[in-house]
This record gives sequence, C-alpha cells and structure tokens, in this order.
Amino acid sequence: MTTPAETGPLLDHLFRRQAGRIVAHLTKLMGPAYLELAEETVQEAMLRALQGWPSQGIPENPAAWLFRVAHNLAIDAVRRNRTLREKTDAMVAELTRSSSALLDDPAVEERLRDDELRMIFLCCHPEIPRDSSVALSLKTVGGFSVREIARAFLADDAAIAQRLVRTKRQIRETGLTLDAPSPSEMEARLDAVLEVIYFIFNEGYTAHEGDELIRLDLCREALRLARLVAGSSLAQPRVHAVVALLALQAARNEARVDAAGNLILLDEQDRSRWDQKLISLGFHHFDLSMAGGPVSRYHAEAAIAATHARAAVTGSTDWPTILELYDQLLALNPSPIVELNRAVAVAKVHGPQAGLQAIEPLEVDAKLRHYYLLLATRGHLLLELGRYKQATDYFRSALECRCSEPERRFLRRKLDDAAKWGRFPTCQL
Amino acid sequence: MAEFLLLLHDEPTRLTRLSPEEMQKAIEKYMAWTKKPFYKGGKRLTQDTGRVIKANGGKPRATDGPYSETKEVMGGFYTIEAADYDEAVQLSLTHPHLEYGGTIEVRQVWAM
Repeated sequence: MTTPAETGPLLDHLFRRQAGRIVAHLTKLMGPAYLELAEETVQEAMLRALQGWPSQGIPENPAAWLFRVAHNLAIDAVRRNRTLREKTDAMVAELTRSSSALLDDPAVEERLRDDELRMIFLCCHPEIPRDSSVALSLKTVGGFSVREIARAFLADDAAIAQRLVRTKRQIRETGLTLDAPSPSEMEARLDAVLEVIYFIFNEGYTAHEGDELIRLDLCREALRLARLVAGSSLAQPRVHAVVALLALQAARNEARVDAAGNLILLDEQDRSRWDQKLISLGFHHFDLSMAGGPVSRYHAEAAIAATHARAAVTGSTDWPTILELYDQLLALNPSPIVELNRAVAVAKVHGPQAGLQAIEPLEVDAKLRHYYLLLATRGHLLLELGRYKQATDYFRSALECRCSEPERRFLRRKLDDAAKWGRFPTCQL
Repeated sequence: MAEFLLLLHDEPTRLTRLSPEEMQKAIEKYMAWTKKPFYKGGKRLTQDTGRVIKANGGKPRATDGPYSETKEVMGGFYTIEAADYDEAVQLSLTHPHLEYGGTIEVRQVWAM
C-alpha cells in the first residue's frame, strides 16, 4: 500500500526547482564567472523566505517572490562588489530589467528553460571531469545542497565542497561559456550531458546504503533533466531513448523493495505496483527514439526495459527478445557488466548450465572477481542446478564483497536457501 | 486554562546551511505548528541585537542588547494555551524550532 505524500502549502520540491532555475538565470545574466555569487544570492533569498513566510504567510506566487528577491539581492551584491568596476552598471541594468519579468508569461518560462538547458551543458562540458560534472549539475541545476550530494554519494561534505570549488574555478579560468554548443561540437557535448544524466540516475537507482529518499530524488532529477533536453531543439532520438530508459526503470522503483526494505528481484515483483504513468511516458519517448539516426546503447537499453515493462504478468517476459537486445547492446557498448546481464538472459533462454558457461570468461577479469553480483549470479545458477554446496560457497564469497545492507540481507537469504536445501538432498528435484 | 509565552531564541547562522529542499520543509513545519488548536498568536522579530534601556541611576540609557553580538537573537514569540507548565512544555516540544537546533523559553502569563 502506498500512502499519498504529505503535501504542504507549497508545491512539492518548489524551492529545489526554483533554486536551480534562478541560479541558471542569474548566471546567464552575470556570466559563468559569477556562478558562486548567483548561488549565494539564491540561498539568501530562500533564507529570507524561511524567516518571513511562517509569520507573514506564503506569498500568492511563491516562485515569483523568490525570483524577485533573488534579483534584488544580486543587484545589491553586484553594487557592493568593487572588483566589477565598469561592469557594475551594465550588470545592474541587466538584473533590473530581468527582475520585472513576469513568471507566468510563457515567453519568460521558455527563456528560463533555455537558461537551465545551457547550464546543464556548461556543467557537463567535456573538459570537466565526470564526477565534477555530476556534483555541479546537482548543485546548480538540481538545487541540491553540498550535504545532500555528499549523502547521495556516500562522500563527505568537505570532499564535495572542495570538488565544487575546483570545478567553478576551472570554469572561471578556462573561460567556459553558456553559449549553445556549435554544430561541430554538438554530438560530443550532447553525449557528455547524457552520460552525466544516466550516471545520476544509476546512482539513485542502485541500491546502496545511502539514504532512500535522496536516492529517489536523484532518479527524479535525472528524469527531469533528460526530459528538459528531450523537450528542447537539441533533442535527438537517443535523448528520447534515455528518457524512455529512465522512465521505464523508475516505474519499477516502488516495487523493488518490500515494506521491510528488502530487495525484490524483477521476477518476483508485484507488477501492479509498477507506476503506469511512468510506463506510458517511457513508451511515448521510446516511440520518439525510433525517429531515425544511429542506434545508440541507450536505444538497446531502453528496448530491454520496454520488453520487461510489456510483461504484465510474472513469467510472461520475452527473454529471447531480451537476449537478442543484450547481444546488440554488447556490440554497441562492450562491458563486463553488460556481459554479466546477458548471461542472466542466456540462463533464462537456454537454462542455467548455458548461463554458467556465459559467465565463465568473465571470471578471469580481475576487477570482476570480487564483484558481488557476479558471484551471486553464479551462486543463483548453481542453486537452480541443484549444486547446493557450490552455490553456498559462492554466496559466501559474495557476502565478503562490498555491497549494501539490503543486498547483504538478500545474499544471506539466498545462502540460507542453499544451505537448507543442501542439507536435505532428498528434496532435490 | 492558562496562557504561556514561548520565546524563540535563535542563532541566525544556524539555518543558512539548510538546502532549498530543507528550507521549504522548515517553512511548512513552522506554518503547520501555527495551525494547532492551542496556538493563540505570535510575531517574528528582526534578526538583530535589539536595544536594552537601563535606568542608569535616573539617566536612562539605551544600549545594544540584551545579547552583545548577533550570534544569538530572539527570533520571535508565540502565545499558546495550556493547563500548566507541564502541558506547555509538552506542547512546545512539538515545535520544529527544536528540530533545527533552536532554543525555546517558556513563560507563564500572569493572570489574576
């Protein structure tokens, strides 16, 4: 059962959303070198709201209030900043002009969306290291705080803060701009953006011991960013494939854990708990992703997610199609993780023995030898084959690897199964 | 029923590190508290030291205060209704101010 989220007098996530777009807008007006100033200004505007609203009441248009106050604070800050010198007047004029814009004017909405989009492309500039792009995107476009980002990535606050400072310095010193990418660099820039968005989503989607709420927020933010790009003139079929992939996977979020926080595998999920709205959104973008252009890894991954989503009843999953799609994915994006997933599909189609054979070559990979999923998959297939003793060994080794608490509980459950069935060999079928 | 005054002591820097999401949550919690049945009224005060006037031996003099720095200020006050101090404290314990590290001073209003 799901209970409706507690709704306050304000729109859910209003502050976080507005923080992102106002920072993007102010940075557009003042220039990327003043990104930090924009952030401080927005933070101050939110603080004023916190100080004033509880006693004075919420303004009629909270977003417009924040927008206006942030502009006024920015104007004050620019006037106080002596290093700006001759630039001061132009900046103040620009900020003043913008502060009188009406937020409910569709043209303004359009401009703000454009600012956010430019900001994402700046944050994900290929010259910026990926981890920094991730942190900066979440901070400036997503409206996450340093602490929230640190919590999401199980890093400490100081490390994230440091990374952000370094990245902003890099932007200042290399003079990166908010200009739209030129046609010649468009492909690489778009790929960098998609990679960061997908990374953010996966961080949120992968079960680790991080805070559950913040992880869902990461998934939501990644999907929002992907839709923002998909809704712009920069969209290409592979952007729609990313939206489809994210939406179809996010649709299962609710069904992936039970009330006690235990992991539920795809096979055992209550499909009525899949989010139908996200599934339709996913299929809509999946259709749009077929509008031509080269087939990307995202296309193959979205197709796999779509095949899973189409199986309305447990056991009706079209594994042969999924196996074919994994073959395609492997060709587009060869990686040991994809091979491992493909091995699971092989086992579903050709039986556990074939699955084991598909896994074998992966075990020579030193990086994977201590990857709990490889060991757990192997254990699972051995369990299906009735080789309980070996299965027990593999689940034990998997438990010695790095994994999250829910995953650990899951492995212990499997280990218990293997040990229990192993003790009663007569029960073997 | 008696009336109690809740004085909310505050450190202005305390909330500056909240994220936008947390700020919104805080606003919602502070506002929700004022909807409670025992709530009678309240006012927010400006975030400064204020002034204290002392008799000063017949020559009253105003100085900044009662706190010398803005590190700690009186953020605002509420009045609530409660049977006695015990209940007033119980009700005050539900106030989000405490969750955000603030201090609440509870005083009973004199009634004849």
